[in-house]
Amino acid sequence: MDKDMNILIVDDFSTMRRIIKNLLRDLGFNNTSEADDGQTALPMLKSGEFDFLVTDWNMPGMDGLTLLKSIRANEELSNMPVLMVTAEAKREQIVAAAEAGVNGYVVKPFTATTLEEKISRIFSRIEAGAG
Amino acid sequence: MPEEKSLMDKQFLDKAEELVEALRAEDEQRVDRLLSEITDLRESALYQELGMLTREIHDSISAFATDDRVAELVQDEIPDAKQRLNFIISKTDEAAHRTISGAEDTILLIDAFSDRVGPLYRRWQQFCNRELSKQEFIDLSDDLNRFFEACGEETNAIHEKMNEIMLIQGYQDITGQMIKQVINMVQEIESKLIGLVSISGSRKPLMTTVVEDSGEIAVGPQLPDACREVVVQSQDDVDDLLASLGF
Repeated sequence: MDKDMNILIVDDFSTMRRIIKNLLRDLGFNNTSEADDGQTALPMLKSGEFDFLVTDWNMPGMDGLTLLKSIRANEELSNMPVLMVTAEAKREQIVAAAEAGVNGYVVKPFTATTLEEKISRIFSRIEAGAG
Repeated sequence: MPEEKSLMDKQFLDKAEELVEALRAEDEQRVDRLLSEITDLRESALYQELGMLTREIHDSISAFATDDRVAELVQDEIPDAKQRLNFIISKTDEAAHRTISGAEDTILLIDAFSDRVGPLYRRWQQFCNRELSKQEFIDLSDDLNRFFEACGEETNAIHEKMNEIMLIQGYQDITGQMIKQVINMVQEIESKLIGLVSISGSRKPLMTTVVEDSGEIAVGPQLPDACREVVVQSQDDVDDLLASLGF
């Protein structure tokens, strides 16, 4: 896992963006950017400078699931790892996110350990797949 | 209604003219009869008006009562909103206490740290001024060594506490989403009530706020006692569910 990778954090609550940003920094990821919903995030992602997306689900404008689907439908971005960090806790929603191709799903409120575990799991799977 | 009113006015005018005639003719019997007829006429106008108002109120209340959405709001969403608001109170209370405790713990750690630094610094100064004996210097070296070792542990502990304090602030997101859900419900009730008032009250249509049912899949955080079959209770439940899907 490349600690220098560029990570985009998408959440409509600025407090949550700051929390995730700080936790990621604590895990050694210093290159993070922020967006407050899918509509803002998508053009940023399309610019091609991001390697990993951490997104909320429930956001005004474009929600996280729609963002995820847009990414999977985009040729350039379709392989981007996506971690959903959300308060959406209905089983059918988690299934829907899985079907849409999410790589990890963390329910809020979460712990620093959970975030760390899910991120390493995502990247170890990717590395195993690539190797 | 204006037609009814002008008809009524004409009846009043006719009676009044008749009354003047009767008074001039000093026909007391006719005067009495006409006065009582005028009173009846007035009362019936009042009753008509009252009747109309009652009917409108009745209709609008019936419409309000048979509106399924209103029933849903009253039966499910208002109690649910109360639960959500209570949950917000306990969540913010918990977050505030955990933040204060975290800050208190950090202060204790920093104070303990600072208590150890002071005497060591004074002894170090004595060493610089060549005021320490050989044995005192050996003791100081040992103490400094232990202090440096402890430094790492203590700063780590402070770091952990600070991270914990930061993580606790996630309550703002959860409660913020819940407050938004309650606001949406209040807006919907407001629009229903405005509809009711506009029919029975001013009889003028008021501007109503249209609440859109977007049908979006995101529904926001669920209360902790939500049905387990539908809502996951922890990250472990999420992991189990995803594992069952082959994740």
